[in-house]
Amino acid sequence: MSLQMLINAILLGGLYALMGIGFSLQWGISGIINLSYGAMVILGSYISLEFFNLFHLDPFISMIMSGAILFVIGAAIYRTLLQPLIKGGIVFTLILTFALRLVIENIILKVWSADYRTIRVTYAGSNFQFGDAYIPLIKFLAFIVAGILIYLTYLFMMKTKTGKGIQAVALDKEGAQAVGIDVEKMYLINFALGTALAGLTGSLWASIYSFSPHLLGSIVGKVFIIAILGGLGNIWGAAAGGLLLGIAETTGAVFFGSEWQEALGMVIMVSVLVWRPYGLMGKKFFG
Amino acid sequence: MFNNKKVNIFLIIVGIIIFIFLPRFVSGYWVRVITTIFMYAVISQGINLMSGYMGYLPFGNAMFFGVGAYITAIGMGKGLSFLAVLPLAALTAILVSILFGLPVLRLRGHYFAIATIGMSGALLSVVQNATEITGGAMGTTLPIIDKSPEVTYNYFYLAMLALMVITTLTIYLIIKSKFGFGIRSIKANEEAANSMGINTTYHKVIAWAISALFTSIAGALYAYWMSFIGPEEVFDVMIAVNTIVIMLIGGAGSILGPIIGAFVISLLSEVVWSTFLEYHLAVLGITIIIIVFFVPKGITGAIADFVKKRELRLRKKVSV
Repeated sequence: MSLQMLINAILLGGLYALMGIGFSLQWGISGIINLSYGAMVILGSYISLEFFNLFHLDPFISMIMSGAILFVIGAAIYRTLLQPLIKGGIVFTLILTFALRLVIENIILKVWSADYRTIRVTYAGSNFQFGDAYIPLIKFLAFIVAGILIYLTYLFMMKTKTGKGIQAVALDKEGAQAVGIDVEKMYLINFALGTALAGLTGSLWASIYSFSPHLLGSIVGKVFIIAILGGLGNIWGAAAGGLLLGIAETTGAVFFGSEWQEALGMVIMVSVLVWRPYGLMGKKFFG
Repeated sequence: MFNNKKVNIFLIIVGIIIFIFLPRFVSGYWVRVITTIFMYAVISQGINLMSGYMGYLPFGNAMFFGVGAYITAIGMGKGLSFLAVLPLAALTAILVSILFGLPVLRLRGHYFAIATIGMSGALLSVVQNATEITGGAMGTTLPIIDKSPEVTYNYFYLAMLALMVITTLTIYLIIKSKFGFGIRSIKANEEAANSMGINTTYHKVIAWAISALFTSIAGALYAYWMSFIGPEEVFDVMIAVNTIVIMLIGGAGSILGPIIGAFVISLLSEVVWSTFLEYHLAVLGITIIIIVFFVPKGITGAIADFVKKRELRLRKKVSV
């Protein structure tokens, strides 16, 4: 494997890592498999597109807006739709989030059409040399920003009072309730944080690649794989899972041909599920 | 009227007879729509057995539909007759379900649902890439029946109706049998069932094989009916999603639930398609949300509640 390939794989994997964390947190801690996650990522891309078209705002700046907007949307969805149904179990939350996906997809199709869109910033073409490999500047920047965001998420979970509350709820719901933690609020914040991360990833994605509603399905497929590789609700696990998926897809495309890329990811996921149901990182995280 | 067994059997037989003669009175378009409804009811019945009765949500069940469709297409492409291919298709689906089921049915809840999606996706990729055998992503064609379209559509209408009746009857008998009690005990509490001496692995694998059997026959009929299939179409996760919604709306864990749900959802989406062409996705999504919110037990569950309440009221009146 050449250096160029490895670098490409890691740069892609960084975005996957950020994308997978939100989904993994929602699934592992709030207990919701969010099938509308892909729609939320793409919605983030379109929010950045709007800010770029209206104010010529760089996606690296407008990502703050898409993160904030998606946080509010996520909180609203959780409070009104998911919270009352969460006791109904997996069938209900799966169907409900799938229905949400249909609604968001329809809105995107109606407002922005099904065409592929791109955001071209002025420095999109520039790259720099590292050894005998070329690194596109924008992908490198996106990778760094993704890394910072992952670290911030980690700090939030470990250092702030709310983050520690979320951790406590994830470990033992009744215990957390007994010491006076508002469990529902923690679930709400955690879910909204997940959708905010989806929006942030969408903006970063939009600065590099073209996007359209057609990507919805494959994004959900990827975040499933990442979350399962890393172990649910585990931030560093999901980050490692994202990098691993990036590497697997890039090398798999070389060895088997790109048409086998998705099958490879699925096979990896099912194998991990069967042999290591708590992810490659090992320990059982939530109840 | 819902508690009297003889009346129920009579009503069901009358219903079947009405459906047998229905194509003479409605247009060809509606014959096709109702054939699709029967098909969805069959697939949903397979999911009902797994999810409604056993508590394992097979999110990737569309793969058996795809396997059934593709084995039929390949076999008929080799010159075999449909009736010769049908057992092959069913057998392949059963083999796939057992092969995948043995490792994957150890997983619980979310994990099982996701693993089946993964397997369905992997199978889809295999079919897309094995171009020499399956025709690849472009899809493949089947021989066309040498009769007028009207006769052909009636033929498939009756075949799908028969499949739906047989599926429902089989699953009903299974659920009422000792084996069925085992299946339902898994939903109630798997550890307890295990410690009571029920071989849960055996029950789970057999239940999934039955689910695969009927789903694959539906797929085989579909392929022959359409005479053209593509991998994206027959391995579509939406098939599973639609049939899960159908099961929920009809009533999970109720034998007539999938049939009622299939009629309600399909007729509803007919209306939605024709009136809200541009917003049909959103309207469908919102409809699902509303139904999940307000009729969580499904239509059969709501009817059962209604009947129970009425009986309670009557009993109170009598006692007063």
